[in-house]
Amino acid sequence: MKKTILIGGVAGQGSAVTSRLIGKIFCRLGCFVFNYRDYPSLIRGGHNFNILEVSDRPVYSQSEKYDIIIALDQKTIDLHQMNLKDDGFVLASSRLRAERMKAIDTKPILEELEGPQYLENDILIGWMFKYFGVDKEFLFEQIREAFGQNSEKIEKAIEKGYLLAEEKEKLEKKEGNYFISGNDGISIGAINAGLDVYLAYPMTPATAVLHYLAKKEKEYNIEVSQLENEIAVVNAALGASFAGARAMVGTSGGGFALMTEAISLSGISELPLVVYLSQRMGPATGVPTYNSQGDLKFAVNAGHGEFPKIVVAPGDSQEAISRTEEAFYLTAKYRTPVILIGDKHLGESDYTFKELKSSSVSKDRFLSKNLPENYKTYEITDSGVSPAAAPGQGPVVRATSYEHDEYGYTIEDAETTVAMNKKRMKKAEQIEREVSRLKPTAVYGDGKNLIIGWGSTKGAIMDALPELDGFRFLQISYITPFPRDIVKKEMEKSDQVILIENSVTGLLGDIITEQTGLSVSKKVLKYDGRPFTADYIIRELKK
Amino acid sequence: MEAKDFATKQEITWCPGCPNIGINQQVREVLAELVNEGKIKAKDIAVSAGIGCHAKNYDYLNVNAFYGLHGRTLPVALGIKMANPELTVIGIGGDGDTYAEGIGHFVQNCRHNANITMLVHDNQNFALTTGQSTPTSEKGFKGFSTPLGEEESPMNPMSVALASGATFVARTFALDMAHLKETIKKAIEHKGFSFVEVLMPCLIFHNNMAYLRKNVYKAEGNDTGDFKKAMELALEWDYSYEKDQKIPIGLFYQIKKATFEDQWAHLGKPCYLIDRRVNWSKLSEEFK
Repeated sequence: MKKTILIGGVAGQGSAVTSRLIGKIFCRLGCFVFNYRDYPSLIRGGHNFNILEVSDRPVYSQSEKYDIIIALDQKTIDLHQMNLKDDGFVLASSRLRAERMKAIDTKPILEELEGPQYLENDILIGWMFKYFGVDKEFLFEQIREAFGQNSEKIEKAIEKGYLLAEEKEKLEKKEGNYFISGNDGISIGAINAGLDVYLAYPMTPATAVLHYLAKKEKEYNIEVSQLENEIAVVNAALGASFAGARAMVGTSGGGFALMTEAISLSGISELPLVVYLSQRMGPATGVPTYNSQGDLKFAVNAGHGEFPKIVVAPGDSQEAISRTEEAFYLTAKYRTPVILIGDKHLGESDYTFKELKSSSVSKDRFLSKNLPENYKTYEITDSGVSPAAAPGQGPVVRATSYEHDEYGYTIEDAETTVAMNKKRMKKAEQIEREVSRLKPTAVYGDGKNLIIGWGSTKGAIMDALPELDGFRFLQISYITPFPRDIVKKEMEKSDQVILIENSVTGLLGDIITEQTGLSVSKKVLKYDGRPFTADYIIRELKK
Repeated sequence: MEAKDFATKQEITWCPGCPNIGINQQVREVLAELVNEGKIKAKDIAVSAGIGCHAKNYDYLNVNAFYGLHGRTLPVALGIKMANPELTVIGIGGDGDTYAEGIGHFVQNCRHNANITMLVHDNQNFALTTGQSTPTSEKGFKGFSTPLGEEESPMNPMSVALASGATFVARTFALDMAHLKETIKKAIEHKGFSFVEVLMPCLIFHNNMAYLRKNVYKAEGNDTGDFKKAMELALEWDYSYEKDQKIPIGLFYQIKKATFEDQWAHLGKPCYLIDRRVNWSKLSEEFK
């Protein structure tokens, strides 16, 4: 079974909440669901919709043609019914009009239940789950769990819809799956890594991480604060890091731009820092609730001066969890900034997994014990990594944005300047070795032609791959340090090399050329703010 | 302990006779006294400095210290306090640093009321960049960026701090050692955000020494719990030099209020001492 369901309405009508609930229920039945969310930058009105891809086999992206459109308003029908499959239909209240429609007379039901209007969504949900042959008791258990004490009216509305439908499919309950967004993956990855302090200024599409962690502040004994701007956020995070905390900040491109001076500070002061950069369509304010991968080179080059940096790009929610844990590990061990680069599509889409795995990387704080009286914050060692300490442990600990000697005192002489730059860049060699053991790339499928992608395009590429003859997919997850040997080898043994990226110019292509001296033979780029679909990729590659 | 225990062996690079030398001496005196009185621990002192002449204190204080970016003294200080509320956190900033680049942080930190002390070395110009005007430079001030004279009237940091909700607002004078020491000590002892404006001449680019010596007076017997009276004191001098005006120094305002860190009392101890082993199946269960 594979069904595509679009749910749409004006903002505030609940299409996002409804689709997440439907997705979760399908997941608990053992289905695989991918939930794509599309909304403009407004709070009430406009047009919001979600596309739920539901299958008995793993799915990672949304399709372009729909089996069912659940319409909460007329605009949803007018905008999307041309994309119904031949046997598809619109499910909506009879107050709306569509060409092929299952119309439910919701008005008398709403009157009987004495409203509110949003119960219409639940009537439609009830109808749909009966259509899919889902057991009523199981359905009500899910509703009670989701809405608790407020579920009584919702249950009644669902039952009304349920009774009006006829079973078309027969979905048997199997072992339930996990249903999680990329942003939630980042959040629980951070908690599992031992997060102490999360600071942010609200910015779509990273805000969900701030919301989730704020909600968990007491339960997991963490400190979550929204400060006056991104500059305060990142400098306070470095203050916290100096004082021994595992600190993380989250933002999108505009906020990240404000943070870049402090990313450079993290480099020279050798203070651990995890920055979550969730990209959206720029430049500047751009198309703020839509997707882009256009900040890749900005992230790789962020911060003035030269210092080691790590840029890692998860491709789905599971990777969001494990790459976040790796980010905390690497920044604590090598004391240099890690940028976790995602985007709107990864952050705000829900993915399904049979299990959620945490990473096996060390959760050590890498703080030294038994510190000598004559402690040197920036002691020059063979590895370039100095034994770390926090203020309060005993000896004086320093952090500085100036070039400095081993104690952290300001210097301006040529010899120490060179020594300290060498010390810091030595860490880059260690990081490169370490990252090579963290599966910086993955290859899926086989074929003489190579698709290269990074981040959220993984989903659509994975779904397209079985339909493409002669193509394999190289996913690059660590952008810095760049896995140049692997990429070079894969490219050299391929006929065609195709870059797939949500950008105007194909930024990873430039990085590949810079790092390997090789060029991709074709770029499939999309910069309309909308993510790729498998169908789109298949069409482009069969041209 | 003695003040010299808080000194370092780094070569002093302030100009000869710079009042910064005296401020540094008094900060060390206060720290030694507070340690000797058992009020703070030397190992738990953390200083956050911006960029400018004031910030050279980083190199001349033998305590935990963070030499951050220009204007960002306060966010760093707040972050330090977040991660370890047991630390005695002292921010040191200049007038350019705090009132130009970092004014947003200054206003917000007055609101936050974290238990941090903020000393602003106000010499009414950017000295380390060779004498440009700052928000407290007087109208008519001639620097290299304002050869025709500064066109704007100066801001008044005392009234800004009061209006922004600071719970300790004081002004002192860098050439009055006893007053300087007493004010800094009271500020560190205050539980909450304590703001100390230190008026100081810059011998090279803004030498107002004669004017300050003539007009500074100690406010005494003022009701420090009365906001309106504090605001009147704040507005007595408008940071200009056109005519002689009385310049009050002293504690203008002090009230008790819950601190920023009270809201994360659940942490209970310094972050680096918290064992954060998490039950993964419980954490991930929510998504099943």
